Amino acid sequence: MSFGFVSPWWLLLGAGALLPWLRPGQPAVDYSSLAMMPEDRLSVAIDRGLRALTSLALAALAAGIAGPYALEQWEERLGTGAHIVLLMDRSSSMNENFSGRYLGGTAGESKNAVARRLLADFVRRRGDDLFAMVAFSAAPRYVMPLTQDREAVLAAIDSVGDRGHGITNIAPGLAMALDFFNGRPATGARIILLVSDGATRIEEESQDMIRQWFQDSQSRLYWIYLRSTNSAPLDRPPTGASDDASPEYLLHRYFQSLGVPYTAYEATNPRAVEEAIADIGRLANQPLRYLEKVPRKDLSGWCYGCALILLLPLLAAKSLEVHAW
Amino acid sequence: MIPEFHYRVRWRAAGAHPGRHASHRTGGGYEFAGHQPFAAFPDPRNIDSHATLNDPFGQLMVKTFRQRSAIPVFVLADLSASMGYADKVQVLAEFTSAAAYSAYRSGDPFGLIVCGETIRWDVSLPLRWHKGGLPADTAANLARIRPDARSAAALEAAVPHLGRGRALVLLVSDFHLDDAFLESLFDALRPHDVVPVAVWSRAEYDALPDWGLIHLRDPETGQRRRLFMRPALKRRFRDVFQARRERLRELAVRHGAREPFLLEDRLDADALTRYFYET
Repeated sequence: MSFGFVSPWWLLLGAGALLPWLRPGQPAVDYSSLAMMPEDRLSVAIDRGLRALTSLALAALAAGIAGPYALEQWEERLGTGAHIVLLMDRSSSMNENFSGRYLGGTAGESKNAVARRLLADFVRRRGDDLFAMVAFSAAPRYVMPLTQDREAVLAAIDSVGDRGHGITNIAPGLAMALDFFNGRPATGARIILLVSDGATRIEEESQDMIRQWFQDSQSRLYWIYLRSTNSAPLDRPPTGASDDASPEYLLHRYFQSLGVPYTAYEATNPRAVEEAIADIGRLANQPLRYLEKVPRKDLSGWCYGCALILLLPLLAAKSLEVHAW
Repeated sequence: MIPEFHYRVRWRAAGAHPGRHASHRTGGGYEFAGHQPFAAFPDPRNIDSHATLNDPFGQLMVKTFRQRSAIPVFVLADLSASMGYADKVQVLAEFTSAAAYSAYRSGDPFGLIVCGETIRWDVSLPLRWHKGGLPADTAANLARIRPDARSAAALEAAVPHLGRGRALVLLVSDFHLDDAFLESLFDALRPHDVVPVAVWSRAEYDALPDWGLIHLRDPETGQRRRLFMRPALKRRFRDVFQARRERLRELAVRHGAREPFLLEDRLDADALTRYFYET
């Protein structure tokens, strides 16, 4: 623990703590002869005690005025879970349900809503993991850094519930998700949980960079592919000659070539999504060492509290004083 | 009205000045001293026929008598700062004027020597017959004075000013003095008849509060002490003063002074008269 003061010059007031040792603070009454009186131990003890109390109270007040605080610091914590970055697709297609319908009585739950509900469940179950969140459509959106704060993660998941729009542009999202691991010690499993319902081609250049980053950070990749009935399964090679025909297949192949553990879950209905998430939840946990930032804390209240407690007996002593008889 | 007390001494005065007290001097009086030849005391009124007839040499014999003489009365006052406590100065002034008035009424000369660190001649009085007791301005000065001396060292220096003849010395002090000083003071005063008058105040011991925090300052030493008063401590105060009284009595008697007279809070002239007839 290290401390600091908002305005340390006020600490000079602490010199006032010497005053009670110079002056007792009670007006003296002239008495004929003290030399005759034997030493009274109890009185001496009470006198010293009162002086010490006054001294400490003054010091506490001076410290309180100076505004002490505990510096912000990094606290090492031991976690047992993984670092999980939730990479959530916010493209317009996520507004549809699994049958490809967009609206109407039979539309049911949208893919987005299903994904959010299940992710929230997942987060709630995984007590020890650190979560971060990135949403992406045409461009990635930074939602939440890695944290263990459950409330914050759940709120972040909830926040991506509005209508999605735009296309699915995976590469920048992946780059941002990988960036969360950048510069952090590799203390446990790193997982990127990609939830999307489609894919786009990634350019050759980006592909190489992302591959490099994946290998540097030793992250695992899980892809929950929310497949509508009318889109192609992942392992069926495209029939046409065009690359655009089945970007999901190409992306799947690309992910397999990353050189890091990769699993894809094709979820064609809400139940399948649930199973996919339960599957990830079963992954072995490694103990995880990480640093968490504790914000700077104001300690002046403690000083004032101490001063108050010290001043109460002094008030009692003041009321006991006798000045004339 | 000025209170008045009667003092009596158990020794014969040496002074020639006629007064109230028994004397060594032969002179006019009623106390028969002896027979002397007429040639030695040529006073035909006192020719004693019996003694003349009995004298084998046939000389004329006269009766001689001892006269009554005046004695010097001094008040030797301690004005160290400890006498500033409560209204001890008022008691001192009252006592001094009573002593001066009593001396006047007995026809004795009266002197006052007030001592702090040095002798305070401004409030002292030389040995004189002061008509009507203490002069008004001295009384006023004495009542106004604020004791601030750090000691009463001048008490010993005042002894030569008491004169060579035996005097009645009323030593007025609170006797919060250390024993060695008191012993040498009593020894220096041995030629005189010393009456230690201890001026104490009940506020010093009896009137202290039963409970509470008091902060006391000794004006002579500057020493300060904060005390938590409680019945046990108050009892201790009383015991200390009682022990001091015993100690003072022992010191005085051992060094040739009379027993101390305790002047508590106010002057009781009758008690003082009784004291003189008892000791």
